[in-house]
Amino acid sequence: MRNYENLVIVKPTFTAEEIAAAVKNVEEIITSNGGEIAATDAMGMRKLAYPIEKSERGYYHVIYYSVEPSAIAEIERRFRINEDLLRFVTIKYSTNREVTAWNSLVEKAKKAAAPVKEETPVEEAPKTEEAPKTEEAPKTEEAPKTEEAAAE
Amino acid sequence: MSEKRKYKKRYCKYCEAKVDFMDYKDVANLRFSLSERYKIMPRRLTGNCKRHQDMISTVIKRARAAAFVPYVVTRKKVITAPFENLR
Repeated sequence: MRNYENLVIVKPTFTAEEIAAAVKNVEEIITSNGGEIAATDAMGMRKLAYPIEKSERGYYHVIYYSVEPSAIAEIERRFRINEDLLRFVTIKYSTNREVTAWNSLVEKAKKAAAPVKEETPVEEAPKTEEAPKTEEAPKTEEAPKTEEAAAE
Repeated sequence: MSEKRKYKKRYCKYCEAKVDFMDYKDVANLRFSLSERYKIMPRRLTGNCKRHQDMISTVIKRARAAAFVPYVVTRKKVITAPFENLR
């Protein structure tokens, strides 16, 4: 068994029930191929960075699971046939470092899912918003600081 | 010129933060290594070490596939603040 992560983008034209059905279908594909789902993370409806199949938005859903490596080809084949999905991204976590990261990601996803199951896009929002703006600014400030330290 | 000065003091930001693993899903952390046009910034400008540059480049490529980050930003299809979709 190896740890994997699958990100799935569901078509935005669907209603809430249809999205839930599509997500359930995706999870069924994984479990029917011998996968054990560790955690799921519904990131919710987001704007895409570029249009995929003419749609500007998409419903993101992340599934963490472990499965035999040989089953991945079949899972991906089924995803490719599935017309509900705009895009899927499969990530393999094989090295020790990646496996520990996978474990922490699973923990995080579980914690996020715990209060209200399936509906936790609220959790994502505030954390990610602060960072992009602050990212650029401190860099310029840091540089002189380190120079001062060197001078001392 | 101004950009050169901005990156004068070179050190690996990720080594300092002791980053062991990067997640392609938290886009905010990728912003540092992306240019205005969402190209991957070269190591000579950011000062990243080889190990972290390799990590960030795979992570950015994954994020592009997942439509978190655009592949290209041209004059024709300018993306107005793609990171604000994080809300």
